This record gives sequence, structure tokens and C-alpha cells, in this order.
Amino acid sequence: MSKSMLAINRSWGKVMASRPELREQHELIGSIQPALHYPQNWTYATSHSMFKAYTHPLHDVGGQPDVPVYYEEKEEEDWELRTYVLCETLGWKGAWNAEERRRRADVDIGYTQYLGIPYYGRWLLAAARMLVDNKHIKVYELQQKIDEVRARYVKQQ
Amino acid sequence: MSSSSKNTPVCRFKVGDRVRIKDQSWLFYSRVQLYARGVEGTIARLNYTDLVAEDETFNVEGEIEQHYIVQFRQQDLWPEYAFPNDTLQSEYPDRWLEPLNNSQA
Amino acid sequence: MTTATGGHDHGHIHPPAPQVEEISDYSVLEIALRELAIEHGLFTAEEHLHFTEWAEKIGPASGSRLVAKAWLDPEFKKLCLTDANAASKAVGVDWLDPTGAGTPSDYTHFVVLEDTPTLHHVIVCTLCSCYPRPMLGNSPYWYRSTNYRRRLVRWPRQVLSEFGLIVPPEVEVRVEDSNQKCRFMVMPMRPEGTDGWTEDQLAEIVTRDCMIGVASPKPGRTADKHPIHKARHPVGHEPKPMGVAE
Repeated sequence: MSKSMLAINRSWGKVMASRPELREQHELIGSIQPALHYPQNWTYATSHSMFKAYTHPLHDVGGQPDVPVYYEEKEEEDWELRTYVLCETLGWKGAWNAEERRRRADVDIGYTQYLGIPYYGRWLLAAARMLVDNKHIKVYELQQKIDEVRARYVKQQ
Repeated sequence: MSSSSKNTPVCRFKVGDRVRIKDQSWLFYSRVQLYARGVEGTIARLNYTDLVAEDETFNVEGEIEQHYIVQFRQQDLWPEYAFPNDTLQSEYPDRWLEPLNNSQA
Repeated sequence: MTTATGGHDHGHIHPPAPQVEEISDYSVLEIALRELAIEHGLFTAEEHLHFTEWAEKIGPASGSRLVAKAWLDPEFKKLCLTDANAASKAVGVDWLDPTGAGTPSDYTHFVVLEDTPTLHHVIVCTLCSCYPRPMLGNSPYWYRSTNYRRRLVRWPRQVLSEFGLIVPPEVEVRVEDSNQKCRFMVMPMRPEGTDGWTEDQLAEIVTRDCMIGVASPKPGRTADKHPIHKARHPVGHEPKPMGVAE
């Protein structure tokens, strides 16, 4: 047996006294969930209920079932505060209003990103999309700028 | 239904009126929650007059309307709700409300 | 809210630590957008700074003081309930700051919800995370979560009990779903055991959670205890770019 295999086997039988370990293990096990998949690939028709479900404004979640979770505080990242200021300053100076921000970040963005991308990440993408849609910047200009900014921080290996 | 201009915001209701939240199409944007649609409530407060969200979000020059707080019984919102005294309030512009009694136009 | 932090590889060997300062895609995008916005004249660096200064100074202390003052002065309490914007000025909050016309997201329609012995308020924004930032600062992360927004409107007593607050059945629990331009704050009931307290002492027990409605003030309860998820790069610890002045 290799050393690493011995190390893995040794974790069995160890008393899981730590609550954070227990919580993590519970969530890991709970996240293994079988599902019946209905593959969607260029459908021909949808029922009225399904149409309503697909076009339902994503942000309207009140009353949807969900489970008790650990409500924790999250310390703010520096980019998150700056994102908030960016979006509000753009609003202050007339580039958009907050309702447009909400529509873009909370509805137009699509369900996958709505649930998958951090809260302020959606604010940021909404601002980016608005600037392009309203023709303040060109998308290629934005793409180039992103690459240029990244290059300041990441050394080429 | 009375029409409105920027100088005369539509304001059909007063505190205490019984209203129902309309269930209109929600295509592309709505701030009227699924849980409230078709539900009866009572006007609890008159807030301010402003553009409705559906217009503001698309930067459209729209009509200014009265916005209201409507109060619901929780047991009218959720079939399984166990506590009879509890309530919920939320905010709607005039166009999303319809009167329940005949004294309003 | 789930614990998904992204990128957790369970059971895999972690790659060696990167040799360069990691920067998230969001950080890169924020810098790119801010620089482009300034380059294109959408706002100036000074305006960005002006808003930043406001954003860094707001917090729940003003709300705590508003409630404490209201508990001590029935006339001020009445003002809070009839003209909350005017009452805000007494604790240094001007709802027209920092732009002169209010903030884009918080508007200028502030409403204080008064708890009574038969009425307990709790606030949510099911559609996004609307919150009275000028009075309470920025919202807690859990308040913005889909989880809180889904559950509070329909199972308020259950959610409150998870915060440690049990409301007797004869007391009306009223959920305020702030889905338009009003911004709400709860004025909780003054608890027993605070006779003769000063404004400072009273303000100390009116924590942020009490003004959202998920907690009740009590003598000795001076903090909202939640686990804290630390930031990788907290505010003030910006990764330094290589050789480029900011």
C-alpha cells in the first residue's frame, strides 16, 4: 500500500468530534442527489404552465420552498465595495437607474448565473452589459481592457 | 379607467379600501410577486407617486402613479399558514390593483 | 445560504500554491469597468471617491440612535412615524446624501415600522435586497440570500426561531416585503429592565438585527452573533498590480 492510501484509510474510525467537520460532511452527503433529467435540446412546444415557469421573472422567489441554513455574515471583499460604488456612481451620473440595474442583474441574467454567480458579481456583469448595450463602450474594447488589466496582475509563467 | 398625465397621477384608492392584486402577464419584468397575484388585501398606506417599475427599468417616459402599501392576511396568501393573526404587507402601483367593492370606478 | 465557495475539491490533491497574487475575475472586471467609465467621461475619479466615502461611513449606529431617541422622547417617536426622513436628520442622516437627490438604490421614502405589544414587524425584499442603507449601512449577506427571501414571507415564525426569536402566537407577525421604493426599518419595543437608561445605553442594545426584525433588544444583548465568513481580500487589502500606479 502506498503512503497516501494508508493516510486515507486512517481517517476511518477517527471520532468526528469537530462540528465544522460534521457540518461539511453532512452537506457533502446531502449534495449527492439523484435527479430525473429532462434534457432540453431544441424543444418543439411547451405547456402554458411551463411557458410561465420559463418566463417567470427570476427574482420573484418569495414563497418558494427552501431549507433552514446557517445564516452567516460575510466579510466584504474589496472588489465588492468597489462594485457597489461603481454601480451607484454610474446611477448618480445618469448612465442608468437602479431599476435597470435590478432588471439586468436579477432577471435578464438567466437562472444559471442568478444562482451561480456571487451577488456583487451580478451587479458587475449588469453594469458591463449596460455599458455595452447603451453604447458607452464597445464589447471588443471591454474585452481588451479585461485582458490588459489581468496582465498587470498575473505573471506569465 | 381614467387616464393620467404627468400632472395628475392615477390614484383610485384610499386607506382601508379592499383591493385585489391583478394577475397580468409578467413577460420580461414585473415587481408583482407570484404569491400576491389574485389575492385580496386592504390599502394600508399611500406612499408616493412615481413611475412604475416596468417603465423605469426600460428608461421609458411613463405615467406617474400612486404607489400603495397593501396588507394581506397570511392565511389568504398561503394555504398551510397556521397563525390567524399574522399579516404581510407589500407595495404596488395603482395599475396593478382592482377594487373589490363598487364605490370605486 | 449554502456554503458553496466555489472550487472546493474534495478528495483531490490540491495544486501547489500559486506564485503570484491571485485576483478574481470580478476584481479584474471591476477595475476594467471603472477605468473605462472614467476614460469615457461617465464619471470622474473624484465622484467615485465621494460616493466611496459615503459608503464607508454609513452603518447601523444611526438607526440604533434613532430608536433610542424615540424610546426616550414621545414627540420624537411621533416624528419618526409620521416623517421618518425629517427624523433621520436628528441622527445625522440626510436621505438626500451623497448626491443631493438621494442614492440611486435607496431613494427617499423612508418608513419606520413601530412594534407594539401585539405587533412584531420583520423586513425582507423578496425580489432583490432593498435595504435602508443611509440609516443602517449595507445589508448583511444573509438578508440578500435567496434562502431568506424565499422563506421569510411564508414561514416567518420558523425563520425567526432560527434567529432565536420566538413570537407568541397572539402577537401579530407582520412581514414587510419592500418590493418598490419605500425603505423600511423596525422600531422595536423598549424592553423591560431599562428604566433610567441613557440614550447611549439604550442605543447599545438596538442592534442591526433588531432593526430588521429578526431579533429583539434585551439588556446585555449588545451584538448580533453570527458566524463570519472572512474575505480573501477584505476592504483595504487590495492586491497590488505589478508596476502600475492606481
